[in-house]
Amino acid sequence: MKGLLHHLGSSLRLHFRNRMALLYGYLFPLIFLGAFWVLYRHDQYPLLRHMGELLTVSVLGGACFGLPTTLVNERERGVWRRYRLTPAPTWLLVASTVIARYFIVLTAGLLQLGVALAVGMPRPEHPIALAVAFTLVAFAFIGLGLVIAMLADNVPAVQALGQCIFLPMLIIGGVAVPLESLPAWAQHLSAFFPGRYAVEVLHQCVTGTGFSPLNFDLLALAVIGLTGFLVGAKLFRWDAQQHFSRQAGKAWLLPILAGWLAVGVAAEGRDRVIIPVASKPAVAAKPTAPPAPVVPPPPWANLTPKDADALDYDLPPDVGVVSPMAGSDQLPDEWVKPQLDNVRIMLPYWVPSKGPDALTRVRHALYVAAVPDAAQVPTEAFVPGVVLNYLELNYPKADLIKILTWIAQHPDEGNPIMTTSDLGLKAAVRDPMLVKERAHYYAIKFVAKLTNHSY
Amino acid sequence: MPPKVVVRNLKKSYGAVEAVRDVSFTIESGEIFGLLGPNGAGKTTSLECLIGLREADAGTLEVCGLDVRKSPREVKQKIGVALQSTALPDQVTPREALKLFGSFYREQADVSGLLERFALSDKADARFVTLSGGQRQRLALALAFVNRPELVLLDEPTTGLDPQSRRELHVEIARMKQEGHTVLLSTHYLEEAERLCDRIAIIVHGQIVATGSPRELIAQSTSRQLVTVVTTTPLGEAALARLPGIDELRIEGATARFRTTQATATLAALTALLEQQRAELIDLQVRKASLEDVFLQFTDANKTASDRGAS
Repeated sequence: MKGLLHHLGSSLRLHFRNRMALLYGYLFPLIFLGAFWVLYRHDQYPLLRHMGELLTVSVLGGACFGLPTTLVNERERGVWRRYRLTPAPTWLLVASTVIARYFIVLTAGLLQLGVALAVGMPRPEHPIALAVAFTLVAFAFIGLGLVIAMLADNVPAVQALGQCIFLPMLIIGGVAVPLESLPAWAQHLSAFFPGRYAVEVLHQCVTGTGFSPLNFDLLALAVIGLTGFLVGAKLFRWDAQQHFSRQAGKAWLLPILAGWLAVGVAAEGRDRVIIPVASKPAVAAKPTAPPAPVVPPPPWANLTPKDADALDYDLPPDVGVVSPMAGSDQLPDEWVKPQLDNVRIMLPYWVPSKGPDALTRVRHALYVAAVPDAAQVPTEAFVPGVVLNYLELNYPKADLIKILTWIAQHPDEGNPIMTTSDLGLKAAVRDPMLVKERAHYYAIKFVAKLTNHSY
Repeated sequence: MPPKVVVRNLKKSYGAVEAVRDVSFTIESGEIFGLLGPNGAGKTTSLECLIGLREADAGTLEVCGLDVRKSPREVKQKIGVALQSTALPDQVTPREALKLFGSFYREQADVSGLLERFALSDKADARFVTLSGGQRQRLALALAFVNRPELVLLDEPTTGLDPQSRRELHVEIARMKQEGHTVLLSTHYLEEAERLCDRIAIIVHGQIVATGSPRELIAQSTSRQLVTVVTTTPLGEAALARLPGIDELRIEGATARFRTTQATATLAALTALLEQQRAELIDLQVRKASLEDVFLQFTDANKTASDRGAS
């Protein structure tokens, strides 16, 4: 025990003395944070929707690069060979190395969280759940880092192996690129990587529901972590002269492959791999609410043109990535026209655009503009025009301005619809906040267009 | 007092290669014991089996009365080891390293005492990366003493050191002897073994070919004394070859070198020859057989034997 504490202290001290380790451990996560902040500067709440991704990137870097780099470097230099001459058992030294690494990624995560709060991110909804989820994410990736350390014979090999895991997870594993913008095959593939489960569970803890004890993401991370630790311990090497190619017991790699495979297959079996499939039914049932017996005057009825003027017209430009709107001089590509026609034709018959409450109907119409924008499909700049036309045709202008103003004043209200597939336009997202945010922008933009206000 | 180390019939192979074929030796308490052999003779493998870094294929291994193969961790509590090269993380300081390694043992030596003992007090808080080769080696020795070991094993501790650092290390090892430590030293430097060790085992091709004190080994050897004679004019090969008891005659201008089994008779005949040829004597040296001669005798004999076996 005394040895463990000393080795833990020593590992941490050495980490904080190593400039490169600090650079990788703390500066890079902050650079990611800065990049996401700039990239998504029009988000209603800065960084809130990206904390899952950011924290995952931090842990991934610290556990899959930092840990094996340190371990393999020390092994190459003969430090571990020297440890082996002492009576200290293997588990003690590995345990303290792992605990030290957990502290390191935890401090990096807290730093990110602190900076995010400082730039205006609201407090995470479930801080304790977040701490538990973060610990499990760290457990899974540190297990992975141990395996990398045992597979790699030298530090360059760690870099190569780490990249082989890091980059695919970033790009097609749902860590840096939103899963809903990826093709189906990539979403299927991502089910076999731990990154997506890490992002999902952290995201839930920051923005949403927290997690139930039997959460699949947590289970997946636990399985991947456990197999990593088991294989790491079985393939443990003290000496740089023991090369992996000549090492006995390579069959111990099978458990980790089996673990990943099991997680992927289980995810496929639960039918939770393709994002829109999972989120559509839950929302589709919502719009047909029972009509209220007595109809009070609608809340927007008392709004005045002054209220419309008072909206915040500091909006993303029409030509950007967020809430684009094609001008009248722009024509859609031939191949997207059929989908726009679908929307134009089906919008009047669409169930959510009917119903007793005008406010809800207009909101739903706004979601039709917001979903393609959030999903970044090729029609995104043209759908808002179609929606605005439809609204102008179906509502008196004065009422429409009031309703849109009310919606713009109350961005948090409403139950977003997450897909426009019912309207013959393939687009879907999984984040309701994103849809709300974009619907908010379009509400103000529509008011501006109707009142000739500039933005 | 029982012996500190007992090795009997140690065997270790790596696949088809027999690194250690049959090694037996005993080290008494308070003794400095040298394992001397050329590179690849099996010194390091024997040592690694003894300290539990490698599993022996066969044989008895006892350290401080404990069976190494049955209780390796207990053995590690009682020994201190300095390897050929001990590398520590760049950013660690000697004081931290000594504290860290000390924490792995039941018995712990006082860290500042160790720093002083190995002349590292000035560098106690300097980073490892800034230490010189000699300072690093002294730190490696200090690490071997963190647990007040009953037995110290030094695996080629002076390999790769500059002459100054090597001399310093020799002083340290001599001091261990004075302090009553038991030391097992493996080396391929003859003068090191001759100077420092109470007893030596010469290991060649995985086998111990001779054991004894340096003096005993030289006395037992069949080697002959080496004579070097330099004269004003060359003495002539034919005349020199007729001297009694000489062998391995080599002539370079006016310098002649040869070995002899009967130094007195040879030198008497040489004096007569000088007088007869009226040659002036410039230099004459008679050197006793050294450990090097003993060593070469064994290694050569072994080489010839294996050559013969091969053909």
